[in-house]
Amino acid sequence: MIFKKNISSLHVPHNKHTAGCVPVKIDTPKEVILPMNMHMGGHAEPIVNVGDHVRVGQLIAREEGRFSSPVHATVSGTVVEIFTMPTADGKGTKAIRIESDGLMEKDENLKPASFTNADEFLQAVRESGVVGLGGAAFPTWAKFNEMRNEEYTVDTVLVNAAECEPYITSDHRMMIDHPELIVKGVEYLREGMIEYLKNAKFKICIEKNKPDAIEAMKEAFKNHDYVEIQELKTIYPQGAKQVMLYNATGRVAIAGKRFPYFHAIIINVSSIAKMAEYLMTGMPLVERIVTVDGPAIKTPMNLIAPIGTKISELLKITGTKGEIGKVVVGGPMNGNAICSVDDPIVKVSNAVLAFDEKSAVLPEPTECIRCGKCADKCPVGIDVCSVDFAYNQKNEDKRAKLLIDTGVRQCVDCGCCSYVCPAHRPLLAINQDAKWWLKQYAKAQQEKEGGNK
Amino acid sequence: MSKLHISAAPHINSGVSTHNIMLDVVIAMIPASIMSVVLFGLKALWIILTCVASAVLSEFLFNLIAKKKQTVGDCSAIVTGLLLALNLSTNVELWQCVFGSVFAIVVVKGFFGGIGKNIVNPAIAARVLMLLTFASVAGGAAITPLFDLSFLGDAVPEIAAGATPLSHLNAGVEAAAEAPTLLQLLVGAHGGAIGETCAIALIIGFVYLVARKVIKWYVPVSFIATVFVCYLVMNGDVTYALAQILAGGLMLGAIFMATDYVTTPTGNLGRVVFCIGAGLLTFAIRQFGQYPEGVSIAILAMNLLTPFIADWTKKKTLGGIK
Repeated sequence: MIFKKNISSLHVPHNKHTAGCVPVKIDTPKEVILPMNMHMGGHAEPIVNVGDHVRVGQLIAREEGRFSSPVHATVSGTVVEIFTMPTADGKGTKAIRIESDGLMEKDENLKPASFTNADEFLQAVRESGVVGLGGAAFPTWAKFNEMRNEEYTVDTVLVNAAECEPYITSDHRMMIDHPELIVKGVEYLREGMIEYLKNAKFKICIEKNKPDAIEAMKEAFKNHDYVEIQELKTIYPQGAKQVMLYNATGRVAIAGKRFPYFHAIIINVSSIAKMAEYLMTGMPLVERIVTVDGPAIKTPMNLIAPIGTKISELLKITGTKGEIGKVVVGGPMNGNAICSVDDPIVKVSNAVLAFDEKSAVLPEPTECIRCGKCADKCPVGIDVCSVDFAYNQKNEDKRAKLLIDTGVRQCVDCGCCSYVCPAHRPLLAINQDAKWWLKQYAKAQQEKEGGNK
Repeated sequence: MSKLHISAAPHINSGVSTHNIMLDVVIAMIPASIMSVVLFGLKALWIILTCVASAVLSEFLFNLIAKKKQTVGDCSAIVTGLLLALNLSTNVELWQCVFGSVFAIVVVKGFFGGIGKNIVNPAIAARVLMLLTFASVAGGAAITPLFDLSFLGDAVPEIAAGATPLSHLNAGVEAAAEAPTLLQLLVGAHGGAIGETCAIALIIGFVYLVARKVIKWYVPVSFIATVFVCYLVMNGDVTYALAQILAGGLMLGAIFMATDYVTTPTGNLGRVVFCIGAGLLTFAIRQFGQYPEGVSIAILAMNLLTPFIADWTKKKTLGGIK
């Protein structure tokens, strides 16, 4: 393409205070809580009972449903409780509470996985419990599995190392501290899926605000002719998959289509590294780097914590200052505010951010003044200011038509609209509601048509 | 640890608020306001104070009576009042100022649903109403400087005529000799509405608004450029075309009224189309119409077309499937 339109985007303050902080392993926590919904898809099903003794890396919950991901014990100790934990959708999920014995004994059955073909490779990735660690938590094996279709060949593998959200540096540290794991992961992936990735180009996509990571990756991959280090502009939301696809390849993602349709797959850099770790050592995903930062944190740090560690434990290590008003798991643009610091970190928790009382409360929404900043900053050019109006239509058919006209189905959930809105309207939340409603509407419409025939 | 706040993402914002934006617009109008007092004396100050005070007060009372959430704090009433004041000449009576402000806030804005809901720009609607009701508003009053301006030398016209430069200019290129020179137009020591004459002050405001990212530079420029090009094509005289864009309310209208968020299309392309349309109408009214000045009527007419322009110029969603 000769003329490529630039995608709209934002410059948010980076606040990457922890970029230079080497991750510190925390002391073994007293207990861990492992929810069964740490991934997209069906909840895992516990296979241990209360009272069982478990070791680090031992399988404690198996996959359940069409796509899912197993859960492994992250500390050694005793299962003390299997209970129902409330979730944001109100349905709740099972969770396993393990009391640590402080020994961190490894499960002796763990051994490096070997594979000779794609089936075995996918099985190994499946057993590793690795999911998309950038935030979507889509089971990694399922993502690779999508390559195996008759219609589309994948010619580009995008390794997402943009980390465009403020504060978070966990992927950044992974690239600096463990470039060998990333190299291994890329090699394994290519080897495992060689029938599908023979001619594929691997692109490691890094934002330019991480020159040391770019340097490290260039050094690590200098002997790989199929790998390219792609430097991307430092903008938000560079790491949103649709935005990255466009900026790295010029292809345009269409809502409702899986990525292989665009001859590409995209995978988070930490997921690649964790997958390599499993294939090399047999240790599944049991711990991760968590950036602990935010206005209410005394010493921002990168911590290596067993998954399931309570957030309060992490906050104890970094120390807090003043009254904490809000705790967010994930980035400030896209993370979730949690109800209690006794919640555990999960597989995708790349950051824990604590906000003080002052920055916790956002201003009250006021009337829209039609400034158009939301639509102007939207990376995919949704007519954001019209979504609210369209969504409030009483007639469902009209509502659907108007909503589709605004383009809201393409929303990448980046939150730029809410960020810039001078009236502080919850635009992202409205978009998400509208998107969800449109899906339900389309489903109902399909059923109706099916019934008429 | 006390109870944690829960809210939907994102958890940070840009820090820009309606209040900040309105305050920026007020600040951008301060140079023009100061120049209006310098050029037109204390009467200008009284006009400004009356308009702003009555606009803010009527917004406050309207919200109180209509039992709506109080919106005085967002400063939009100050913008409306100040903008209206700058568009009036010193011929106006103060009670007429009150009438205009109340009409702008209560009828044009309040009755249509308050901030963000009005169809036409309140200040312009009020100005046009006053133009039709009290003809004295439009006629340029002669300048009555606060202090002796003779130190400016050539930049000030020798005879302080009551007629606005536009009435000379519109008579054609030949008659334009009687109109002030370009330098005199920039300084603004000639008849007209109190805030429209000093082009330099308005340009300072424009630069401020662009620097603060309240408006995009090409929006007002497209308005002014359209008028300029029309005159250039018509007469082929650059000086005459420049005089046309410096005289009258064009600068004030293009910078502060055609960039109003509420009553112009939301997209920047739409805003440019809006401004080109307003520019063409301004040219048509000045050239062929009865009134010497057409900016406010042109903007008012384009305000009504805003929803259609917004629809025609809608950005295509990336990867959008219709």
